Amino acid sequence: MAEKKRKQRAKELAKEFGYLPYMTERYLALWGEEETLSFLEACEIAPKTAIRINSLKMPIEQTVRRMKRKGIALKRVPWLEEGFTADFGDRTPGSLFEHLFGHYYVQGVPSMTVVKALDPQKGEVVMDLASAPGGKTTHISQLMENTGTVFSIELDRLRMRSLVNNIQRCGVTNAIALRGDARKLDGLGVAPDRILLDAPCSGEGLIPLDPARKRSKTMADIRYCATRQDELLDSVIKTLAPGGVLVYSTCSIAPEENEYVIDSILGKHPEMKIIQIDQEFGVPGYTQPYGVSLDVSLSQSRRFLPHIHGLEGFFICKMRKEGDR
Amino acid sequence: MSLEIVSQLDWQMVTEVVDQEFGEGVTKTLRGRLMPVSKKSKKGISYYLVSSDWMRFLQNKFTDFEPAHLGRRFGDIVEGRFRFSLSMLDELKDVTPNHLVVSGKGAEAFTYGRSILKESVVEVAPGLSREQRVVVLNKHGDCLGLASLTVDSERIGRLGPDRLVAKNLADIGWYIRNE
Repeated sequence: MAEKKRKQRAKELAKEFGYLPYMTERYLALWGEEETLSFLEACEIAPKTAIRINSLKMPIEQTVRRMKRKGIALKRVPWLEEGFTADFGDRTPGSLFEHLFGHYYVQGVPSMTVVKALDPQKGEVVMDLASAPGGKTTHISQLMENTGTVFSIELDRLRMRSLVNNIQRCGVTNAIALRGDARKLDGLGVAPDRILLDAPCSGEGLIPLDPARKRSKTMADIRYCATRQDELLDSVIKTLAPGGVLVYSTCSIAPEENEYVIDSILGKHPEMKIIQIDQEFGVPGYTQPYGVSLDVSLSQSRRFLPHIHGLEGFFICKMRKEGDR
Repeated sequence: MSLEIVSQLDWQMVTEVVDQEFGEGVTKTLRGRLMPVSKKSKKGISYYLVSSDWMRFLQNKFTDFEPAHLGRRFGDIVEGRFRFSLSMLDELKDVTPNHLVVSGKGAEAFTYGRSILKESVVEVAPGLSREQRVVVLNKHGDCLGLASLTVDSERIGRLGPDRLVAKNLADIGWYIRNE
């Protein structure tokens, strides 16, 4: 599509669906007209509620039986033993006693998938950055069966409170929650086996959950986020143990915050290599977004897209640092 | 707000307070092989139980970072009184006989921060005195929180349905209310 024609079409779509024009223009450049329309329509539908059953408090099947007795319809997510989509009927997902007991955590499917991709092992030292409100920290602890150590790091003082609440509610006992800037990890003197960086982002993938995001972020915000993500990754890579695993994720669909950031990191840090994610989900990351050629190994990263998967948009990339553990 | 390994003397003090209320040996059972660590704040002192393997991390002092939580939170001393953390109550219920079981309606009210009326009481441990702290359970044995009796347990049967029986000290609804 010629640039002038694309700009005009972007304005029309932006008006029709309530977006800022720069967004629809990028979608048209990235996907073309048909897929852009499909994406915009999918973003009008909220994804199904999902929960993670917390086996730290009770065996999964026991909680499933208990919830079914209360009339909650659960359907297992194919690649997540502990993940379910849930129909709570006229009740809110947080209103059951089982939620207060920590038997389950209300969490999007992509957020659970990120931790599954990280694949934390019993006894390891794992770091979860930008960790509030704690869905991923508590999931990591669950997979590690409360062994080893999980450093859960968050900068925001208010969000820290939710993190600590959730750690306690879910029966996590292997976590150290620290408030501070993840760009200063040097001071901790810890070389983790695995690091999860679910980076602060523009949240462009969350439009199906929060339509306000159609108009709340500018291109400058995306650029700011990309700079911050790059700084965080630099700090994280320095801290990661040789042979260690890093999972980078965002709830943004913008290549500028995902594939571009990783491509730049691979250039700066030859010791980092993208590796295959074991679970089957999503679609491959882009290697030529907007016609720009990026590292071909980015095809091993994964994306969730609202119009293909009926979920919030997400990007997940798993990397390994060279060296022996 | 620095972390400190709790001295034997300080832990003895915590042990005496807890055991006096919940039974001899309760603190030792709950602690197991974990190491007590304390964190002082403006409000008081918080106690945590951590693996002794974590000494290697604690020695580094977490430069540039402020510890908010570690291991399992045992409880706090605020204004001179010890109070268990909510997350320890699940284990406490298994090692103390001091239970108060409430009805479904009572459980709902209690987890909204209300105190317990006679009409909600299904069962209470015998021989408990006024001001005794009790673990509050629902009929399925799930832990709902901690309360302080306002009357001796032997007198509860004689009270009218709308009379206060136990004052809410902490309940699991706090996890949501505090967010």
